[in-house]
Amino acid sequence: MTISATAASIRNARPRGSLGNRLRKRYFSTPVNTSISVVGLAIMAWVIWTAFEWAVLNAVWRSPDGTSQVCRGIDGACWAVINVRWRLILFGLFPFEEQWRSTIACIVIVVVAILSCVPVFWKPVRLAGLWVAGFALFYSFISGGIFDMPYVGPSEWGGLTLTVFFYAAGVLIGMPLAICLALMRRSELPVIAVTTGLFIDVVRSLPLVTILFTAALVLPFVLPSFLIGDKIWRVIIGFALFFAVYQAEIIRSGIQSLPKGQEEAAKALGLSYWQRTTRIILPQAFRRALPPTINQFVITFKETALIVIIGFFDVLASGKAAFGSGEWSFAWVEVYCFVAMIYFVFVFSLSRYGVYLEHRLRVGKL
Amino acid sequence: MSTLLNSRRFRNVAIQAGFVVIILVVVVSAVIIGRQNLQAQGATSGFAFLHRATGFELGFSLIETGPFDSFGRFLLAGLLNTIFLGMIGIVLANVVGLTVAVLRTANNGALNAIGTMYIETFRNIPMILQALFWYALLTSLPAPKQAYHLLDLAFFSSRGLYLPGLNVTGAAAAIFFLLLAAGVVASVCFSISRRFKSMPNVRRSRIRWTVLAAGVLLGIVALAYGRVPDTPVLSIPELRGLNIRDGVRIPPELASLAIAMAVYGGAFIAEVIRAGFISVGKGQVEAAHALGLAPWHVFSRVRLPLAIRAVLPTLINQYVWLFKATTLGIAVGFADFFAVVSVSISQAGQTLELIGILMLGFLVMNNIIAFVLNRVNKAIALKGTQLRV
Amino acid sequence: MTDVAVSISHMNKYYGGFHALKDVNLEVEKGERIVVCGPSGSGKSTLIRCINRLEEHQEGSINVLGTELNDDVANIDIIRREVGMVFQHFNLFPHLTVLENCTLAPMLARKISQADAEKSAMMFLERVRIPEQAEKFPGELSGGQQQRVAIARALCMKPEILLFDEPTSALDPEMISEVLDVMVGLASDGMTMICVTHEMGFARQVADRVIFMDHGEIVEEAAPGQFFEAPKNERTKEFLRQILSH
Repeated sequence: MTISATAASIRNARPRGSLGNRLRKRYFSTPVNTSISVVGLAIMAWVIWTAFEWAVLNAVWRSPDGTSQVCRGIDGACWAVINVRWRLILFGLFPFEEQWRSTIACIVIVVVAILSCVPVFWKPVRLAGLWVAGFALFYSFISGGIFDMPYVGPSEWGGLTLTVFFYAAGVLIGMPLAICLALMRRSELPVIAVTTGLFIDVVRSLPLVTILFTAALVLPFVLPSFLIGDKIWRVIIGFALFFAVYQAEIIRSGIQSLPKGQEEAAKALGLSYWQRTTRIILPQAFRRALPPTINQFVITFKETALIVIIGFFDVLASGKAAFGSGEWSFAWVEVYCFVAMIYFVFVFSLSRYGVYLEHRLRVGKL
Repeated sequence: MSTLLNSRRFRNVAIQAGFVVIILVVVVSAVIIGRQNLQAQGATSGFAFLHRATGFELGFSLIETGPFDSFGRFLLAGLLNTIFLGMIGIVLANVVGLTVAVLRTANNGALNAIGTMYIETFRNIPMILQALFWYALLTSLPAPKQAYHLLDLAFFSSRGLYLPGLNVTGAAAAIFFLLLAAGVVASVCFSISRRFKSMPNVRRSRIRWTVLAAGVLLGIVALAYGRVPDTPVLSIPELRGLNIRDGVRIPPELASLAIAMAVYGGAFIAEVIRAGFISVGKGQVEAAHALGLAPWHVFSRVRLPLAIRAVLPTLINQYVWLFKATTLGIAVGFADFFAVVSVSISQAGQTLELIGILMLGFLVMNNIIAFVLNRVNKAIALKGTQLRV
Repeated sequence: MTDVAVSISHMNKYYGGFHALKDVNLEVEKGERIVVCGPSGSGKSTLIRCINRLEEHQEGSINVLGTELNDDVANIDIIRREVGMVFQHFNLFPHLTVLENCTLAPMLARKISQADAEKSAMMFLERVRIPEQAEKFPGELSGGQQQRVAIARALCMKPEILLFDEPTSALDPEMISEVLDVMVGLASDGMTMICVTHEMGFARQVADRVIFMDHGEIVEEAAPGQFFEAPKNERTKEFLRQILSH
């Protein structure tokens, strides 16, 4: 109620009236304001025009002979490098003939992710079913070994598919882990609460890179041989753990923001701990913690880029490889822009979705 | 028996005991397996390696290091590099963040649009990608011979940025900055601390300036002490032959990370500060205007202090997070703490010990940052309940 | 099996060093209506919260419907199913509709089928006179309506005993009577009720006994006629003077 009231007051604070009036008030109210507007708009126009000129007008889009010859001495962007190397950037070292499988696998995950944004699927059972099915499909396509599809090991997975897979797997493992950690930290049993709290605080003050590094290099030292598994799974679990400790704190603050009466009323009705937690506490805590949760999802997607440091061939690493070899080495700007574009599309749509959810939450439709 | 199992106290004790046992089993078995693996490799565990010579070199170091120096010294150098980069990055990110936040909240559509464009562009691209981009950009600058320069005082080349500086040792420069920072922090602490509020204003401001001046003077003493003998005081970069000599060289590894931290971290800090500006009650700003304060004073005395108080806890998290981002050093070849540890692991092989040192280092540093800033937060927090309109 | 609903003897409760309830003895028979009153901080809410173990007592015994309230988890479950509670701030679950609020506990804790739970929920919603709000969310109702839903929710568990913890003190004055009407109705149906309330009119009308508490002790215990007309204790007199002075 308070949130919507604030929102309303912010809306009311905006100058009213016709578009012309509003423009005048926002841009040309005083001479100083007018000159700032003119300079600001000019700078913006210049930046946009320069970028447009470089990226579109003077750009070279394709290379007929597959070499970098066409880009000699041009003023614009050499998108030909993308035209020639896009499969390397998107699929990494995945076997060339099998790259359609990587494409389908990637699309499966993205579609499942989009579907789980639709409120129809917001039932724990449906979400779980959706993701289990999605992952099974993903895994059978990317790994192969069935239906005449040759086996492709994790060391050959790469590019955008690897990034998307890493993200989905990390969040999927991390979310239940986060709920467990949050509940354990709030436990009435002091030993569990204190130990979990200490664990969460320690992991939170470590950089992600050190955790990934530990998972990749140190864990094999201290795990029994049957638990070591492939490096990719260890790193995903490290990644999930890092996500989980942050998400656990978000969930915990969501739980703490609930009035105490909710838990008491549930107790008085004779509901057990698990019934209280799953039916009363968590559903409300998740609603309250929605904005920071979406924020955490967005940050986590960008953090997948760090796996390049421990030697995975994700979209960033394969991008580096695309201009790494001598011939295209001048085209780093184009490749980085292309990879940045890919990240931008994912991250931007995620955060827009977050804004939409927050809006729904505010008008009480959640 | 059933009553025992149903007893809440018994259950609580049993569950907690089981929890402790599981953790002990995990930890002990990890230790045992780790031991076995080390023995199988014939490696000796322990921290004796810290005294061994490393045999490699660091690209950037505030203290002198060479291949014959010990691992311990290298780790210290890496730690100092991380702190150095973290301080530069956080300060720059604040400057960028405050600027963009002001643009975003200004009462001018064009400025708002510029701020929004900035945020949406740089916040949505991973920081490591940005760091790699800036690194590629800086290293593709022309060679020293064709370097861009400003009035022959500053040079921008693929070898790094060359700026005029003093002929002092790195340690002396570091001590100078530390003393300077200590002076500023002490004088700020003095002015916000409640304990001295009762002092007359004149005396308080005199003490404040004395503290600050003492910091500066001591710093200058340190600089004088650390002066490299037989050189001019000022060191101006100069093109000699194929390279640039003298001056202070900022290597592209350091610069690209600092820029990335400033640009990416700045976008986040801007959003936090903007939220703070929005949270300042309209009534307070109107009251300030009504009292006849100039716009600059409304900003610097009312809006900014209230906004910072509202968002300082969030900002502290951002600083800690930004500090952890220094570990991206390894991606561009900057010798930060993590990079030094990871090279040491491949050279010395003492994986467990080095990872332990790494984690301990970050644990200590981040908790110091959080502790100090939380104290500041407590000191400046508004007292009593606030009526929000 | 006697017809004693609640029997509390020599019960003590401490919050750390603070002695919140001092040697409380209370016996409530089935079908009896008790009103507990007293100044704020006197321990009256704590007392009834001990009856369904929202608070834990340290000494003495509490026996509810023949079940001893002790460390045994199973006993706590039994008692909570048989004792309903209505809170000062309603504590409806805001993410569930009115109907779901009423059916959740019967389905989960009593394992009743959804159809049966909904049928009986509608019956109780009719009894509190808001069946038409069944599909709405609590946030869309007025305070008085919410409290009536909360009463219906408690009734849906078909409890033997109902506890009321200041059910009207968070309500606007014009909504108090609609809630009190429902409570009077329940009383005339023979429900065992223990009410913490300052509604002295209600106490006069329906209570079998009025209990006055101060500083964690039961100071006076009497039938309403005697309690209001001829209180024995000085503290009771003082309290009644303050509360009835306007």
